[in-house]
Amino acid sequence: MNSGNHEKSPNMGRLPCPAPLANPYVPFQLEDPPTYSQGKALIRGTLYPGLDLPFMGMVNRCEKRQSPMVQLQQLRFALTELGLYLNTHREDRKALDAYRKMQREFHDAREEYVKCHGPIDHATPEESDRFTWICDPWPWEYAANRGV
Amino acid sequence: MFQYEKMLQYPVKIDRPNPRLARIIISQYGGPDGELGASLRYLSQRFSMPFDELKGVLTDIGTEELGHLEMIGAIVHQLTRNMKDEQYKDPAFAPYFVDHTAGVYPNSAAGTPWSAATIAVKGDPIADLTEDLAAEQKARVTYDNILRISDDPDVNDVIKFLREREIVHFQRFGEALELLREKLNQKNVYFMNPAFDL
Repeated sequence: MNSGNHEKSPNMGRLPCPAPLANPYVPFQLEDPPTYSQGKALIRGTLYPGLDLPFMGMVNRCEKRQSPMVQLQQLRFALTELGLYLNTHREDRKALDAYRKMQREFHDAREEYVKCHGPIDHATPEESDRFTWICDPWPWEYAANRGV
Repeated sequence: MFQYEKMLQYPVKIDRPNPRLARIIISQYGGPDGELGASLRYLSQRFSMPFDELKGVLTDIGTEELGHLEMIGAIVHQLTRNMKDEQYKDPAFAPYFVDHTAGVYPNSAAGTPWSAATIAVKGDPIADLTEDLAAEQKARVTYDNILRISDDPDVNDVIKFLREREIVHFQRFGEALELLREKLNQKNVYFMNPAFDL
């Protein structure tokens, strides 16, 4: 295959050549793929436009209102997507750099969030003199998601 | 080890309770192609996987599926909160209500309790990864069908996110299978079981 044809097309991948018989194939996503912004990635369910394949044109168009939790969810999701991509593209240097940058951003954002809004895990240090881990609302409750 | 992060992967905010719809959505909690099965399938298959990429893909996707299980549970929980008399007495919900009240129990839309018979751990990486490709497609179709049935915009917002994750996971499992193939005998990838014979 002529990979030059595909470099500008985010929804084309790389197939092995020649492909042996009796093997299922999914083409490799090409390295350094185009990406959505963090806000758009979250509502679309993927960081990668090339993998964004909706059902009957049903897509989320409005980005979430930027609450501190939504900002954390956006960073966490971009980190999840980059980590998953790197599992099968460990040589993609640009993706690794983006992953490292996202790790630092998420780390800082989590520290900031915990200071103002309470713990999201047991391990991040807190300054509060009260034990707030068990405080309502829990993530599955309506009250925790109100306003998004 | 696993640790809890006190946040959802994606916000779930369902304004209008609708137990009839909860009865449909719950299939992705404990139905044949649901998130409980997905997480247990991948997190169990990984123990016999050879090669670091395959262990990574199964660990990360299996972990993400646990987060999706929590999101589906959150949808069901919010669809069944503050139910009025006529809502829990609705013949479409009453059979669930009598056994589980407004609790979240892993069963299919038709009421079959979750079963390990809906997943496979074959102990052969080509067989297991091929099963995983099919599993992602079946989950994707279940979400398609939920989008056909549901007209609740708050529910569909989340379902569209979860459906897209199945497509991304399918891509990564496919790439994992190809990375495995590259490491095997190029003339005959079925020469032996790399989980057992290497």
